[in-house]
Amino acid sequence: MSSSDENSGSNLRKTTQTWGVQTIPDPWEGAIRKVAQSQDRAEFKRLFDHYAPLIKAFLSKGISSYADRSLAEEMTQEVMIKVWNKAASFNSSKASVNTWIFTIARNTRIDFIRRNGRADRTIDIEDIWHEADSPEPVVELQQRRVETMIRNAMSTLPEEQALVLEKAFMESKSHNEIAEELNLPLGTVKSRIRLALSKLQILIDR
Amino acid sequence: MISYHPDSRFLTDFATANLPLSEAVCVSAHLEFCSKCRAHVQQLTDIGGHMLSRLKPEAVSDDSFESLMARVSSSETLAAAGEPKPEAMLAASESAAVTDESARATSLTFLPRSVRRLSSGSLEKLRWVQLGKALRVAPLQVDDASRDTAIYDIRAGGRMPEHEHRGEEITVLLQGSFSDADGSYTRGDFVVRHAGEAHQPTATQDMDCICVVCLERPVRPRGLLYRMLEPLVNYRLQKLSRPAAC
Repeated sequence: MSSSDENSGSNLRKTTQTWGVQTIPDPWEGAIRKVAQSQDRAEFKRLFDHYAPLIKAFLSKGISSYADRSLAEEMTQEVMIKVWNKAASFNSSKASVNTWIFTIARNTRIDFIRRNGRADRTIDIEDIWHEADSPEPVVELQQRRVETMIRNAMSTLPEEQALVLEKAFMESKSHNEIAEELNLPLGTVKSRIRLALSKLQILIDR
Repeated sequence: MISYHPDSRFLTDFATANLPLSEAVCVSAHLEFCSKCRAHVQQLTDIGGHMLSRLKPEAVSDDSFESLMARVSSSETLAAAGEPKPEAMLAASESAAVTDESARATSLTFLPRSVRRLSSGSLEKLRWVQLGKALRVAPLQVDDASRDTAIYDIRAGGRMPEHEHRGEEITVLLQGSFSDADGSYTRGDFVVRHAGEAHQPTATQDMDCICVVCLERPVRPRGLLYRMLEPLVNYRLQKLSRPAAC
């Protein structure tokens, strides 16, 4: 392949990316970068004021049934400390700040649940729910498209589909737990979630 | 090529971290072999990120930020005193990930991160139990009382005793391949068997087949001999899964 072919190939890819996908700039990306580069406390305060109350809301939902709710405050601090410490590992091509912070909150939550259980831990949460791999460019492109779809289509989901997603993602419930709570067969919960996912352009074969 | 993937229930429960730990070990092992499922998990996680951003904020206490920064400062004092800096640790783990990528392409046995951790880096460090000529099993210590997790090593060409499942079984192949009446499975495949299904996996001739297996409850071997051996086998496995000090 000649070098001019290579150039036109990469140009084509660039065009498709800007032309096929409307990406809205992530308003919090710059703040994370400044925290990573210069431990910028003012920017971190801005992130904290925006995200800490959201994180606390998420964690309160998850723990209300099994533990003291004041724990949510402590866990929120834990999450924000990780945001401070891990800011350098944030990769904007992989995830939005919202998604990145969600994964940290999610992992912190199960880490707390496990700490309440047993002390002798043989495996860390990060060994399982990690982000070892970078997506390939095609995947990344799809990723942006899905992010846009999620933003646009979430509010158009039928109520029963929105409800199961809410229970899975915000109330941290498994398919089984949702089925039990809503008194539905497991298959119904699964198909509602799958329908919702397909509307968000997340097309899982099975 | 990978042909068997976790379904939407596994992937969603994984993305929301609502899978039992042992099943999550299996899904995460599959993800390291499968970029398609990795992309799906990433997309599912985006739903979480989006929903998080739309929650009704819950006020944190007034001194929350100050006490947080006090904790950050004291941990930075620790860092200055010689503790590894978080950034440095992250950089180290990033480069480990790069090595993973190339290791996966070249090495015969690529161990997913979770399995590597559970086996202290090498399968030979595990405590193996030989079960017949063709099979050896090493329990993995996952904090999950609801399931048994183990590494199975089936000798090349070896046949496992026919067994029936009393609960769900997940198998992720880490090396080699095996087949049973329903199909043939190769590295990275995520195979689920449900309660009541019986099968007799046979490893292919070219190499040993190594899998991570997560079992809801012990399987019931069909043959009389194995049924007689079962209590003994279970006893030996249980004994092994207890900490050495006991």
